[in-house]
Amino acid sequence: MKKNRNVGIVGVGQSVFSSHREDVNQPEMIQEAVAEALAHAGITMNDVDCVVHGNMELFEMVHQPDLWHTLGSGAFGKETLRVTTGGTTGATLCCVADNLVASGLHDVVLAIGFEKLQEGHTTGGITNMADPLWARQLQTGALTGMTAAQTIEEFGEQRAKKAAMRYRILMDKHAMKNPKAHRRLGLEFDQAEELMTNSPALVGELRMIHMCSQSDGACAMIFASEEKAKQLRKNPAWIKDHLTVHREESFCIFGDAPVLMSHRYAAEKLYARNGIADPLKQIDVFEMYDPSSWWGLDWIREFLLLKGDEHLRMVENDAISLTGTFPINPSGGVIASNPIGATAMVRVAEAALQIMGDAGEHQVPKTVNQALASGFGGTLWSVLLLLTREVPR
Amino acid sequence: MTAKADSFIVDGKLALPYQYFAGRTGSRFLIQLRDQKKIQGLRCQTCDKVFVPPRSTCVSCGAKIADHWVEVKNTGTITGHTVIRYEEPHQPVKPPYILALIKLDGADTPLAHIVKGIPLTKVRTGQRVQAVFAKKTTSSILDIDHFRPLEEKPKIELGYSYEALEVGMSASFTKTISETDVYLFAGISGDFNPMHLNEEFAKLTPFGTRIAHGALPQSLIAPVLGMKLPGLGTVIPEITVRFRKPTYFGDTITAIGEVAEKIDARKWVRMELRWLNQKGELVAEGSCLAIPPVPLG
Repeated sequence: MKKNRNVGIVGVGQSVFSSHREDVNQPEMIQEAVAEALAHAGITMNDVDCVVHGNMELFEMVHQPDLWHTLGSGAFGKETLRVTTGGTTGATLCCVADNLVASGLHDVVLAIGFEKLQEGHTTGGITNMADPLWARQLQTGALTGMTAAQTIEEFGEQRAKKAAMRYRILMDKHAMKNPKAHRRLGLEFDQAEELMTNSPALVGELRMIHMCSQSDGACAMIFASEEKAKQLRKNPAWIKDHLTVHREESFCIFGDAPVLMSHRYAAEKLYARNGIADPLKQIDVFEMYDPSSWWGLDWIREFLLLKGDEHLRMVENDAISLTGTFPINPSGGVIASNPIGATAMVRVAEAALQIMGDAGEHQVPKTVNQALASGFGGTLWSVLLLLTREVPR
Repeated sequence: MTAKADSFIVDGKLALPYQYFAGRTGSRFLIQLRDQKKIQGLRCQTCDKVFVPPRSTCVSCGAKIADHWVEVKNTGTITGHTVIRYEEPHQPVKPPYILALIKLDGADTPLAHIVKGIPLTKVRTGQRVQAVFAKKTTSSILDIDHFRPLEEKPKIELGYSYEALEVGMSASFTKTISETDVYLFAGISGDFNPMHLNEEFAKLTPFGTRIAHGALPQSLIAPVLGMKLPGLGTVIPEITVRFRKPTYFGDTITAIGEVAEKIDARKWVRMELRWLNQKGELVAEGSCLAIPPVPLG
């Protein structure tokens, strides 16, 4: 991995995330995020060289939505690219923007991820993912009870269920501090027992309360070359590295072999080439793509290369809370807001805001020198972005 | 078009038919299944992996493997499972049904298929299953109609081994001794002594009525030692008994065996034996040596 030049994030914009945005059509919703990102960067569309646009294919039943969306994206007359890599779309948009600027092709790139899940049929789209001949029957959309079953098997029913619910409630407490978040339920820890028993079961012990929302929303980010970024703002968030790991979409190709090895594999590779020997010490905040609290819980161990029950203890002792030693998802995460094509970009955007110190009420109470953001898509596709406060050397 | 406050919602519906080309490799798998009732996989010689369902290139090393067909068994092991409960028009069978990942013997990757013949709640990872071929072909993976549990040899569960036995462990067997039991025992042993069979004669004996043969209640220790403690596979080389009270017709006798001593030198145990009647009176007492089960065969 060698970068031609440094790339800084100079502007972040997010629409309000909600289950229903009947008040705006797609380009109008996108415009909300674009306008906010431009304002945050202190520029206008005239300063943007290229627009990268993405969402989940098939989700709103609009073919080539980027054409229509020119009305809201401001892409008219600009160079454009469209990216659609499923759940990872938002993170891939950031990787593409980083590549476009780092290569020297463009100085300022606007990336836009969006989804209006309320308009289409999410599961209808997702279930069309796998090989129709052999694996189509296995695809269940985003719902899988496997991680719940495995965590319960490994740590016992009570401890596993309590940890998953504590994770869920911590995320809600974060979302309560994020005015853009979709689900702000006001959960309290003393509701845990009731919720883990009575929330409707989806698959096994994966219950409604554990699962991410279906949201409408858009996210826009502005990427600039080092020279431009330094002109535009004092505190850009710099992209130190990004990494994508993917494999065929079936969960269980080698039977009972470790299922989500793509996360751990990606983390190992990213840390190795960025001199991160102790992620818990060297990373200050982590915005994780956590589609459910079971996955969120389990993936702490994968992404941070932990062993045994360390990840459970981090949840049990609130280390992952906004004020904890290793804050995860100060924004409330994917469980709180999930406009899928934007979701993975929101992880990067929120990590960037934490570095800039611009996250508002959910800003972590410490200097963020290094932040990690993850994207997840399909069944085994991991994207990681590493952001820094200092210009990477 | 539906109205919601000041914002209209436009309703629409798309039906999207599609077809999918299985390709020559996938088709050959299906043809073998249809015409030969054989399940084949493709083997990567570099990685030493057999892929079922087949794939033309190895996922790990990228080598072209489309010509390296190998036959795998129609038996296999469940490596993952779920129960499908929702109903949709395209499903091959009516829910609820078990959908499992089955690693066939000789393959390294699992095949997704339906499992029947196991209660929905009893399916487990590690379960051995066998393919049941469809009577009519559909030229699809459903030429295997489903998998069913593989019938395994009945498992013999032996009793406690010497190592598992502890001093103080006990077991018992209880039975009511009837006139029929005594008559049958007379026939088995040839002991037609009138004190067991002739009430008028028995009235003249010190007991004043018929009593059971002493060996009849004594024999009730056999199910304790042979089937409970130590249990199946036990050999009894020595047994001694002292009779304390007679057993009358209609008495309910409990035979009790208790481990009294472990004899490490021989890996035998000495057991104390007691026979009680329904009043709790000691009918007989004794002891035995028991050779606890060792693995059969």
